[in-house]
Amino acid sequence: MSEHKEQLRLGVDIGGTFTDLLLADRDGVVLTLKTPSVPKAPEQAVINGLTELKKRGIDLTDINVFIHGTTLAVNTLIERKGCRTALLVTKGFRDVLEMRRMRLENTIDLYGDKVLPLVPRQYVLEIDERITVDGDILQEMNLDGLDAQLEKLIADGVEAIGVAFLHAYKNPVHEKKIKEYIQQKYPQFYISVSSEIWPQQKEYERTLVTVINSYIGRKMKDYFEHLIVGCTSMGLKASVLSTMSNGGIMTAESAAQEPVRTLLSGPASGVIGATRIAQQIGIDKVITFDMGGTSADIAVINKTANYSTENKIGDFPVIIPAIDVTAIGAGGGSIAWLDDSGILKVGPQSAGADPGPVAYHRGGTEPALTDAYVCLGFMSKFQLLDGEMEIFPDEAAAALQKLADKLDLDVPEMAQSIVDVATANMYANFIPLMAKNGVDPREYALLAFGGAGPVHGFMLAREVGIRKIIVPATPGTLCALGSAFADLKQDYVFTTYKRMDEFAEGELTQVIDRLRSEGAAWIEHEAASGIELVSTSYEYSLDMRFVGQAFELKVMIPEDIFEDKEAIFERFHTLYKTLFGVEMKDAMVEIINVRVTAIGETKKGALRIRRDAAPQKSFEKRRIYFDHKYQEATVAPRFSLEIGKRYTGPAILTAYDTTIFIPPEFDYYCDEHMNIIGEMRDE
Amino acid sequence: MNNKKVFTEIFKNRVQAIAEEMANVVLRTGFTAFVKETGDFGTYLISKEGETFASPLDAGYNLSIGLPVKEIIALFDDWAEGDVVIFNDAYTTYGLATHLPDVYLMKPVIVDDQVVAFIMSFIHASDVGGRVPGSVSVTSYDIYQEGIRLAPVKLYKKGVLQKDIYDIFLNNCRIPEQNNGDINALMSGMYRGEERVKELIEKYGLEEFYEGVESVLSYAEDRVRNLIREFPDGKYEFWDYLDPDEDGYPIRIRCALEIKDGDVYLDFDGTDIQSRKAINMATMGQQGHYMIVPALIRYFRTIDHQIPWNSGMVRMVKNNLPSGSILNCEHPASVGARAATFIRVMDVITGALSTARPDALPAAGCGQACIISLSAVDRVSGKRKVGVIQPICGGSGARPMKDGVDGMDFAVGHMRNVPVESTEADMPVLVEHYGLRKDSYGHGRYRGGAGVELVFRNLSPDTIVSARNMERNEFQPWGRMGGTQASLALIYKNEGKEDQLQLHSLDEVRVQPGDTISFYSQGGGGYGDAFMRPASDVKRDCDNELLSVEAAKKFYGVCIKDGVVAEKETEEYRRNNAHDLPEFSFGDYRKNFEALWNDHRQLILTHALYSVPINFRGYVGNMLRKKIEEKVRKGEEVNASDVQQMISEINAGAALQQ
Repeated sequence: MSEHKEQLRLGVDIGGTFTDLLLADRDGVVLTLKTPSVPKAPEQAVINGLTELKKRGIDLTDINVFIHGTTLAVNTLIERKGCRTALLVTKGFRDVLEMRRMRLENTIDLYGDKVLPLVPRQYVLEIDERITVDGDILQEMNLDGLDAQLEKLIADGVEAIGVAFLHAYKNPVHEKKIKEYIQQKYPQFYISVSSEIWPQQKEYERTLVTVINSYIGRKMKDYFEHLIVGCTSMGLKASVLSTMSNGGIMTAESAAQEPVRTLLSGPASGVIGATRIAQQIGIDKVITFDMGGTSADIAVINKTANYSTENKIGDFPVIIPAIDVTAIGAGGGSIAWLDDSGILKVGPQSAGADPGPVAYHRGGTEPALTDAYVCLGFMSKFQLLDGEMEIFPDEAAAALQKLADKLDLDVPEMAQSIVDVATANMYANFIPLMAKNGVDPREYALLAFGGAGPVHGFMLAREVGIRKIIVPATPGTLCALGSAFADLKQDYVFTTYKRMDEFAEGELTQVIDRLRSEGAAWIEHEAASGIELVSTSYEYSLDMRFVGQAFELKVMIPEDIFEDKEAIFERFHTLYKTLFGVEMKDAMVEIINVRVTAIGETKKGALRIRRDAAPQKSFEKRRIYFDHKYQEATVAPRFSLEIGKRYTGPAILTAYDTTIFIPPEFDYYCDEHMNIIGEMRDE
Repeated sequence: MNNKKVFTEIFKNRVQAIAEEMANVVLRTGFTAFVKETGDFGTYLISKEGETFASPLDAGYNLSIGLPVKEIIALFDDWAEGDVVIFNDAYTTYGLATHLPDVYLMKPVIVDDQVVAFIMSFIHASDVGGRVPGSVSVTSYDIYQEGIRLAPVKLYKKGVLQKDIYDIFLNNCRIPEQNNGDINALMSGMYRGEERVKELIEKYGLEEFYEGVESVLSYAEDRVRNLIREFPDGKYEFWDYLDPDEDGYPIRIRCALEIKDGDVYLDFDGTDIQSRKAINMATMGQQGHYMIVPALIRYFRTIDHQIPWNSGMVRMVKNNLPSGSILNCEHPASVGARAATFIRVMDVITGALSTARPDALPAAGCGQACIISLSAVDRVSGKRKVGVIQPICGGSGARPMKDGVDGMDFAVGHMRNVPVESTEADMPVLVEHYGLRKDSYGHGRYRGGAGVELVFRNLSPDTIVSARNMERNEFQPWGRMGGTQASLALIYKNEGKEDQLQLHSLDEVRVQPGDTISFYSQGGGGYGDAFMRPASDVKRDCDNELLSVEAAKKFYGVCIKDGVVAEKETEEYRRNNAHDLPEFSFGDYRKNFEALWNDHRQLILTHALYSVPINFRGYVGNMLRKKIEEKVRKGEEVNASDVQQMISEINAGAALQQ
């Protein structure tokens, strides 16, 4: 076979509306394409995409890395479409899912409800067993009567089981035994046990991720099987890989076992894509801004993406580390309306992708944020998807007119008001979030992607004090790009919950060694599927706190100080002082969790975008309404800019899948990688 | 410039962002568990007139709408850039600080040498000195036992720390480093807020800023008035009780809620006198006070999620809080554990609102939130340490359109529990059971939320167990519109063993290794006729083992045989067993108590007591009650002049001089 075979990588991202494909070789991105998603059979969209690749002359056998991300897991959870699941717990703790962590989602809503558990109380079985906090067996496991209960579950249509016993993170013996028993005798159940899924102390959170895994597992396993069969029949030789919530990848085979690790893979891939772009242009501090039809999400990158162990997915806290992505508000489909005091509101209702904004002429009747963009003149009739998606400005204007009449405004001023309120909404979520993460946005660049991100990104940046904006070359397929450029990555945790002086000589090293060898084995296993690795590395951290505190700090520790308690304390104390400004040199410290992350760096090619248009010398002008007045804006296809040449806003840059709006305060240029960089001029 | 209606929304978002941003700075840099776990802190933007125009909803404590700030502002006529005032005292802050652990800071925002606004914040410090660690004990009987008191004083003058004042404060706390950490966190949050308000003024100009402040306040006011107008004008009376104190009598909180043309008047005339226990509320009689109005504003926000979260919401609320009552105590009454009273005030106002709008408000929730804690000898260090086993709430009341929430009530919806695995790692206990309590909720078309059970075994000698703020051991959470009352709390030592002992409170109980404590909390009251509840819903509760098959029959008329609803039998039973559907179901204890102590007699007694010098009221009250009871038992009625006569007799007998 030909020599280019070694380097073709395909990234696929299955979204709600479109499935994106991105193909890259050693020298850069070969092509990107969008094909409609098929919600009923998500793998079908992948097959359709592969067929399209074939049509374009790609030999699928040349693809040797195929990485794919899907929202199937998260949608199955959020829409509560998983299989009927049972939970086995330690006797006395049947209500672990009912009690949760108590706190109500909305404490001032008398009609509010707490989260409905994924497993109803009647399918939670108490098993007579008890392990103590030290890991000793207080009560041997007694399985009398279990068979009858399991038979009843089968009769009731239960297909999956989660097992989470108290202190199983410390001693998994009972969980292992019962898993073996059930697998042997009742192989029809999809089963997950907490000591394998995420062995961290905190019974609610550990039980929850175990239950989620079982709840979505059956469906995910079936899906991956269909996908692999489908891809193989298309002639694809590469093994299928899946993206993960931590921004890494793993084999589809592993993902089918632990789908809970893929829940946030969609947004995580986008952030990984953004991280690659940031590395490419050499910027360390970036805030990503992914705005689509229904929401706008942000994440913080400090060289690498920020992680969180307090992510919420739908109603549920998920403690497995994931890239920290947070919704800050509305998308392009958010509806503008007046409350009965006549105050203008934007969202939270959204026209979404279907029916979409009025301007799309697909049945939408309420004015959406996108309609305001259209009325300001940011988008023209045949601008999107090479004219395949026609825009109807008159219909948008008519929809805005109805609101404008009530507020005694004209249409352009109405559109301006909608955009201003939407920006203020984002500001209201963005600024407190930054404070929570200790981030001063003025030190960061904003990387805008998604369908509406490049339209609204500059306006948000201006409001929150960000002076530099980056719009990547492929803002509509950044998740697929992130997939294609991801590494193998797995996280491990062990709860020690001990004062530092209680650790024996060599104890911490032993714990870390065990976690690291689990990681090494995992990487070896995954790489055996044919992934080419450049290197393998490990990151170590400790969750530490002063004795008696209720919160921990994550302290990164280098390899050479595992046994140097003073050095570990020093690192903790330094971080503590930075955060709290308080010195507590004499206080006792405890180590709650030990964490190891194993990373297998995959072999990747360059991240380069080829452009097919020649640079133009002059551009047309369009009259737009912005900042309460009419202005002349430059209108240019984004790939027709001269590389490195500085232009002055206001401008509208058009592209296949998005529009970039650049306000008057900004200069902009196209860099050598085809990114558009906007910079606010000094006053 | 934007249209005024558009600007209001933009300005509201901007100032809300500042309040939330400040709260997040505090959350991030706050030191103690109170900040991280219970979120007991707040950050506010205050107009120069003293109204709160932004208050956080996401982080921190959310129910502090109605903070009286005006008087504190007026205390100083030399507010300067960089000034920060500190205070925590309940009797010199005009109703702002209501117990000593809440330490407040306040600083002016100054533009062009003018005070244009204030930034304020508070944090619940884990200890401010006093008799007991943590400073709060229900048995403290005056405020001097509860910690150091700071009347408003400048902690910073023009940016310079007044170290002498700060040292006096810190030296009186058991955990000075931690408190210093928390105060620093507040300071960081307030600096951020000040910076942001100045940015806002720079962007919009001072005039627009003032206009914006007024527009968000009056926006909130307008929206609330609209909701109030949905209530029929009228006067709605309701009362409820705190459990009997050591003298054997409960404490009544009585409210006449009057609605008239978009205004609300809360008249607490008839509320009992202040207590010797630390459950008094130092509201100083302020209008629309934040310890009084939460049930109101919570209702408003339930109906209209868009109302800006500011003190415009209480502009139309006036209240009468009799001086010397438990809701407006006089110096030096103790106030540390006022949360128990605060929760009951919410029940009372909810009841009164429900009288006006039965279709909109829930039945009573569990009505309490207690913290079960332990003082035990640590197995590693051999020293005594104090730790929380679990905060215990109960079920919420049934709503007019849906069931209550299991194991959680709205009054304390912000509380978080402790993982059992962490409890066992921290304290010498083995938790045997933690979950929902079967057959604990009130029944009805919609049922209340289930209560909570906790059983733990003590593993260490001479351990002291206590449950702070435990309530509703006698007065049941009430049901509404035919719904029944919920169960009471139950506590046992060594339940099911030979030496089983039922306890009636958990103020301080000593236990030895192997002893168990079982704690069963209340459910929420039911709503509507239980016979109207679909049999399938009743069966689901049985399947989930929250309801016994016997109770399904007894309360719902639903006959379940071999796990199947016997439809015909059910229908027949429901048809043949007509039952009363009272407006409110309060349960036997209240019925028995009020058989003698009806509203009339309680009012006569309470009114008479206010004429007695404050320090004699407790004694005179007890004597009076006995005399009145004696008279009533003889079949005679009492009137106001009888009672005055009795007071004279008591005075003469005890040689009390008036």
